[in-house]
Amino acid sequence: MPEYLYIHIPFCVGKCLYCDFLSIPFDEALAERYVNALCGEMAMRKDSAGTLRTIYIGGGTPSILSDKLFSTLFACLKANFLFSSSAEITVEANPGTMSGSAVRHMASLGVNRISMGAQSFDDDELRTLGRIHSSREAILSAGLIRESGFENFSLDLMYGIPGQTITTWRETLSQAVSLRPKHISAYELTPEPGTRLYELIGSGRLVMPDEDSIMEMLDAGLERLSSYGYEHYEISNYALPGYRCQHNLNYWDRGKYIGLGAGAHSFSKDIRSQNLGDITGYIECLERSELPLEKSAPIGPEEAMREMIFLGLRKTEGMALHTLAASGLDIPGCCADLLDEGYLRIKGNSLCFTQKGLAISNELLVRIFGRLGL
Amino acid sequence: MAKDIRNFSIIAHIDHGKSTLADRLLEYTGALSAREMTAQVLDSMDLEKERGITIKAHAVRLEYDADDGRTYILNLIDTPGHVDFSYEVSRSLASCEGALLVVDATQGVEAQTLANAYLAVEHDLEIIPVINKIDLPSAEPDKTREQIEDAIGIDCADAVLASAKEGIGTKEILEAIVRKIPPPTGEDDKPLKALIFDSWFDNYQGVIVLVRVFDGKISAGQKIRQMATASVYEVAQVGIFSPKMRPVESLSAGEVGYIIAGIKSVHDTKIGDTITDAGRPVSEPCPGYKDIKPMVFCGFYPTSTHQYENLRDALNKLRLNDSSFSYEPETSLALGFGFRCGFLGLLHMEIIQERLEREFDLSLLSTAPTVVYRVTKSSGEVIFIENPSLLPDKYEMIEEPFVVTTIFVPKDFIGPIFDLCQEKRGVQRDFTYIGKDRIKVEYELPLNEILWDFYDRLKSLTKGYASMDYDFLGYRESDLVKLNILLNGEAVDALSLIVHRDKAYYKGRQLTEKLREIIPRQMYEVVIQAAVGSKIIARESVRPLRKDVIAKCYGGDITRKRKLLEKQKEGKKRMKQVGKVELPQEAFLAVLKIK
Repeated sequence: MPEYLYIHIPFCVGKCLYCDFLSIPFDEALAERYVNALCGEMAMRKDSAGTLRTIYIGGGTPSILSDKLFSTLFACLKANFLFSSSAEITVEANPGTMSGSAVRHMASLGVNRISMGAQSFDDDELRTLGRIHSSREAILSAGLIRESGFENFSLDLMYGIPGQTITTWRETLSQAVSLRPKHISAYELTPEPGTRLYELIGSGRLVMPDEDSIMEMLDAGLERLSSYGYEHYEISNYALPGYRCQHNLNYWDRGKYIGLGAGAHSFSKDIRSQNLGDITGYIECLERSELPLEKSAPIGPEEAMREMIFLGLRKTEGMALHTLAASGLDIPGCCADLLDEGYLRIKGNSLCFTQKGLAISNELLVRIFGRLGL
Repeated sequence: MAKDIRNFSIIAHIDHGKSTLADRLLEYTGALSAREMTAQVLDSMDLEKERGITIKAHAVRLEYDADDGRTYILNLIDTPGHVDFSYEVSRSLASCEGALLVVDATQGVEAQTLANAYLAVEHDLEIIPVINKIDLPSAEPDKTREQIEDAIGIDCADAVLASAKEGIGTKEILEAIVRKIPPPTGEDDKPLKALIFDSWFDNYQGVIVLVRVFDGKISAGQKIRQMATASVYEVAQVGIFSPKMRPVESLSAGEVGYIIAGIKSVHDTKIGDTITDAGRPVSEPCPGYKDIKPMVFCGFYPTSTHQYENLRDALNKLRLNDSSFSYEPETSLALGFGFRCGFLGLLHMEIIQERLEREFDLSLLSTAPTVVYRVTKSSGEVIFIENPSLLPDKYEMIEEPFVVTTIFVPKDFIGPIFDLCQEKRGVQRDFTYIGKDRIKVEYELPLNEILWDFYDRLKSLTKGYASMDYDFLGYRESDLVKLNILLNGEAVDALSLIVHRDKAYYKGRQLTEKLREIIPRQMYEVVIQAAVGSKIIARESVRPLRKDVIAKCYGGDITRKRKLLEKQKEGKKRMKQVGKVELPQEAFLAVLKIK
């Protein structure tokens, strides 16, 4: 049974330019109904969960919820699920949406990890992204998180922002490490269709940095973060030893999970399912005591293997050779040239992409699938 | 009886309303009830309807009660409306005594109208001008009348003003057919002489041959001989289309109808051939027979090799019904096993390719179309080259097909036409004013030059007002060279071209630039070179791929991201691997996109 729980909080102060997640502007009354609906969904699905190893409250901006709603949410969690105090319990937060008391309140409820969306410490870049906070607010928030007893916090950073240079990116990296987070996610900004950013780039009003600059930023991030002891453990994730995000690792290990809330995805018994994405629809469904399922699809054996490979090889540790062999996937055998040319390598008992390989992993995965007949 | 028969065609430019008028005539004479009318009955193939072009000729018998109190049999012989099929048009016209010349009153006379009208004049047909679309506000019937008189030299005083769409003038047209078009001459007692003007393959009945009987009679059980092919068959059935197939006892002198005679393939009948009685043959066949040969060739290759057999079967099926299309297996170093296919022209090629992909669900790669070159080797041997990569390194002389192109254009646009024809190595042959503001120019041009973008550029230079037609002139010697394209140092046979020496440098540069745009970045650098002989004349390169990665991948996104990769995988499937380079299909047609 799934031991990993995700809860989606779809409220934000405003929509960032690049955001393609499910979120709407915050509304206190709606948020209250929503949290009640979440509690209803927990009650309906509690029996399908095992003892939880991680709880991840993501968004949107979960930190926008009031102390009272957080209390309700955690009371419901405790009433419906089993989890120990050592479980990894993460809340996503955005600078400018939390007070010291709110952060202390989260800690008192059992939250032990905060992931803060800093994105950049350059105010021009933050404006370009449509973020609601300044770099100063992010620095203050990070201080507040640490002072409130959260040793374990993560910062999200972005590179490849229109207007960003290798210099401003290095400054952001320096600022980030100076705040001493245990974990850093450094993403390349990807304009997704349907976002404002995508439109602005399409119409030429914003210009993405060129490929060479982005590659330079990738290298700079890797170098700077490694020098501070952060281990690169997934395409976009770095952590000090012992602080890798257990919740996210479960996705890449293709483990089962339960997703609660509007638009949340679940994966169990080779079925991937998704909740209703319409927030009011989700609430009303639960008010009628019905499961808010939007769609559910079984994953066939070949799709399952493709998933396993493309998720597993996101980790810099790669995949255990015996796991691959057990599924009849002889990647080293059919991709000798990719090993020879330094795109793949065998490290101990695992197969993984090299840095060069990770950068073009889509192209390589497609080749690997082709050769495996998947 | 023959005096109550009228055999006629409708000639018109594309979109001038031929098919609509044909429908109207069928409806008016009661050949089909309004309920049975599906739009444009005569164009029975889907593709014909979609493109608004008639590809196959048909013949329909109509019965019309005229004002003089007599009932006439009208045989409407449909003609293809495109230059690629002009031989078929000429055979259809040869089967008639008259023709309706339909001209759009909003557009005026166009090159095709003119070409087909001249053909009709050559065949001594009685021409009835019909000025169509007079219901439209922009119609200019007087100006159109004047243009027809100037261009074709026929009297338009009695031209019928019509709107096929609105049913205006239908009766007047039918009356004009009866009064003006002469009845067929010919005698039932003479030896059989019938002209084949169309044929097609039917799954149940074999080949159906459409004929016009000039002399004699034809009926079931009769032994017939096709004069050009010298083959003898026994007639199983004769009949007419009304418009449904209807067997009749016999077809007599002056009549039009079909023959079924156990013929297995359309290649066993030749359009334009004469059918006669095997026991009592006619001495002279109908004039004008030609063995038509494909003018344009290209290679068709399946994108995945396992479709090769399916492609061969599909080509075979299409060929059953199309005697002007040919194919031969060929092998390309770059593309593997495929077929070199021959067509009457570019439109014909596009139609065949579309049918292969649509009706047979094939994914095809086609190489750039080419004409047939005549090469005299040093030994004096003459060979025909349908594939540029097969041009030998050494030869005595190379000749290319030339055509005479007739262009019709409003006088304000004549300047750009001169420039275009000049650029395409054209030599002016004629220049005539038609009316006050239209010009007819004739150019002798290499067929190769009008294959690629000539028509599109003609249209865009003249805001769509120019129209053109062309006719084969013959082979002429030219200073031609083979332009090779090399990818990472290896020549790709499917990309070679034969070009005029003066243009080789320019084309090579354009083509390498175009290929650089088309070829996606891959794991390795791709160097694109153009070469004439051993001399490299242009070079471009596609930088290797450095970054292609999904940055963010969490719980909810997994399905979406997996699908992204699957899409990328599908994209790869459509690429053709040439050495280490993956080429998209457009690469093989890049040459069509350069000037």
